Amino acid sequence: MPAATTVLSIVGSNLDRGGKDRWTRWRPSVDLTRHDDLVVDRCELLYLPRDEAIVAEIEEDVAGISPETKVRTHLLDVRDAWDFVEVYGALHDFARAYPFSPESEEYLVHVTTGTHVMQICLFLLTEARYLPGRLLQTSPPPRRNSNQPGSYTIIDLDLSRYDQLASRFVQEKQEGLSFLKAGIATRNPAFNEIIERVEQVATVSSAPLLLTGPTGAGKSQLARRVYDLKRQRRQVEGPLVEVNCATLRGDTAMSTLFGHIKGSFTGATRDRPGLMRTAQGGVLFLDEIGELGLDEQAMLLRAIEVKKFLPVGSDREVSSDFQLIAGTNRDLESAVASGQFREDLLARINLWTFRLPGLASRREDIEPNLEYEIEHSSQSVGHHVTMNKEARRRFLHFAAAPDSSWRGNFRDFNAAITRMATLAPGGRINVATVDDEITRLTTSWSDGGSSDDAIIEETLGAEAAAAIDRFDRTQLADVLRICASSGSLSDAGRKLFAVSRQRRKTANDADRLRKYLAKFGLEWSDFRASTKATHA
Amino acid sequence: MISIDGSRGEGGGQVLRTALAVSLATGRPFRIERIRAGRSKPGLLRQHLTAVQAAATISSGVVEGAALRSTELTFTPGEICPGSYRFSIGTAGSTGLVLQTVLLPLLLAPGASRLVLEGGTHNSNSPPFDFLAKTLLPLLRKMGASVTASLKRHGFYPAGGGRICVAIEPSRLSPLDLSVRGAVHTMRARALVSNLAPRIGQRELNRVAAKLDLASDAMEVCTVDAHGPGNVLMIEVESDSLTEVFSGFGEVQVRAEAVAGKVCSAVRTYLSADAPVGPHLADQLLLPMALGAGGSLRTLGLTPHTETNIDLIRELLPVDIRVQRCGRHDVRIDVSPI
Repeated sequence: MPAATTVLSIVGSNLDRGGKDRWTRWRPSVDLTRHDDLVVDRCELLYLPRDEAIVAEIEEDVAGISPETKVRTHLLDVRDAWDFVEVYGALHDFARAYPFSPESEEYLVHVTTGTHVMQICLFLLTEARYLPGRLLQTSPPPRRNSNQPGSYTIIDLDLSRYDQLASRFVQEKQEGLSFLKAGIATRNPAFNEIIERVEQVATVSSAPLLLTGPTGAGKSQLARRVYDLKRQRRQVEGPLVEVNCATLRGDTAMSTLFGHIKGSFTGATRDRPGLMRTAQGGVLFLDEIGELGLDEQAMLLRAIEVKKFLPVGSDREVSSDFQLIAGTNRDLESAVASGQFREDLLARINLWTFRLPGLASRREDIEPNLEYEIEHSSQSVGHHVTMNKEARRRFLHFAAAPDSSWRGNFRDFNAAITRMATLAPGGRINVATVDDEITRLTTSWSDGGSSDDAIIEETLGAEAAAAIDRFDRTQLADVLRICASSGSLSDAGRKLFAVSRQRRKTANDADRLRKYLAKFGLEWSDFRASTKATHA
Repeated sequence: MISIDGSRGEGGGQVLRTALAVSLATGRPFRIERIRAGRSKPGLLRQHLTAVQAAATISSGVVEGAALRSTELTFTPGEICPGSYRFSIGTAGSTGLVLQTVLLPLLLAPGASRLVLEGGTHNSNSPPFDFLAKTLLPLLRKMGASVTASLKRHGFYPAGGGRICVAIEPSRLSPLDLSVRGAVHTMRARALVSNLAPRIGQRELNRVAAKLDLASDAMEVCTVDAHGPGNVLMIEVESDSLTEVFSGFGEVQVRAEAVAGKVCSAVRTYLSADAPVGPHLADQLLLPMALGAGGSLRTLGLTPHTETNIDLIRELLPVDIRVQRCGRHDVRIDVSPI
């Protein structure tokens, strides 16, 4: 036996209204019992107190039109049919109390009548399976004033027909994922899992995220991508504020983070909002959070928990609502044990912890990342960069070898590609370029040699170094290395511009180098002093 | 088991009703496949199910596939049980069509029956009650059937709510000969109006008066009490051998004069021809003749429905049906049991 069909319909104050002309008007709640290919065994009419008269007429008319339909009426205790909370509450109560028996009856939820709020609530309740049925959408006959019943459509939100919709969600999710992976296909299942999880958490929650993993594993990149994703989905409106806590040592740490008011200390000549307030409505990425002082930790905890804190010198709390992403390469548990990190703060930020694996444990990702980084470098250097087959084979072989430690992780990797792309003759990375790079990497790993960042930091100081774009880092580091190993500005210039030099009549290498260094506030003498200090 | 192709010819519903009536009357089960194949909504619709359910009810029959949009159905009738039945039919199906399914089997059954049919009594696309009461039932009585019907309340599309009562006594059918019409001696026109302005009916009658030259005492506007609005114009043509009823239904956005004009054309075609049986009546008489003792008729023409019905009856029953075209509006049909 086919299951009996029950329709739930809200009486439409306007569409279902009665009167003398009612038979020449389309009345959705009545006409749904008139279709020649739909038998409604029972019709549950939900109505507002003011529509009592309409209900009586519907009952009488349905009895004549469709004697097989049993009509039952339910008064909805709703005063304002446009009040979402009230309507949802009343319909939810109805759904909870209704003795559904989906085994023997099928339910159709008529979403054509009632206020839009009522229709939306019916949809939501059906989608959430509080109403275990399909949606019934009815439409008037094409000709006005005709006494035909119009048409109807049954929409099953569970049905595979709506896979198309679902797959759009999946696609969007995929987009979110590859977004987080910066467009790089990752072949490492563990890393994939982490990214999926981050996406899942980041798009539904504004709770703090903690990213751990070795330096260069991509913590700051991931934090930026999470921010971009949330922004794209309009979940944040404020800015992304990034700060490396290692640079926040000392007196200024408090005011940098929490701001100060004018005159609160010597040198406080005007109000400073602080990074916490700047991050209002956005994302605050605190890298190297393990380096934060204990006082700042206490203030940060309050800022996360109650979204309020006290700027330096102020006796009035200010508020700021932001999502915190914390990064660390330290073991915070042992930092807690040694008293360097607050246990309560760790507990607060430890809710969602993601450990990013270093490049050495994601060797299968080296190849796809190689493609991505070459493409990326092409954009940076402004022309198309390619890598020939043999060069590629040689580099990948080296990269995947267990001896290659990739100590600086993706930072090393990205720097290597950028260097090769920059040095590639005619934009084509060949075996010679690769061999040079391999030597450079091997040396830097074996002698504990400095990474690009380390060299830049040593020369310029941490703060200035942090202000340099990634775009410039590799080139600058290489220039600095050459300078450090050269006797004079001209000597360094000759090495750095060896190729273009052959095509020029006049040699102005020293001048080009001087101008380049000046962009970073460096003079040859500073540089000599700095390298001397390093070697001292 | 008899297998019927439900996609054949016109009138999927007609095929089903004929098959049900024959099955009930003969006690033989049948299977119908490809029901209404090729239509925009293939398979069984509500009005078809109503007929199936009525057939099952009077015979305690067993039905498989009786579901909306089902394209296959197997019907196994039990023994027909005469008695009192009440069938409530929505406006999608008319009382006349359900009666068409069960009337002959109940007539041929050994006991008396009382039927109450509720729903539409005057729907377009099915014979109105007046056709039943004034045309068909008198002819069946002529064949020996003991059947009367009375209208308790009118039911128009779409509001429905009408009611007719039918009294049936066990009968034996004898042959019927309707080859000669004889003189037309009376013509009457009636316009029924329910919950609408009576002048709609008057306008229809004015047009009838002009077209058919009817005197005012042969015409009447009747305001009837029905649940919803409705209007039907009916013209009765009484001749020596029968009364034919022609009807047209008032529709939204169709002028009353246009409704009347169509009915008048049908009447004039009938009057100008010689055959006694109108196109719709021919269709209705085939089964009584085939299930009874045969008969002959001359009709104005074969509708696609009638042609389909003739083919189907030939398949289902041991009868010989001969169709002979004698003129433009003159087709002779002879039904003789083999």
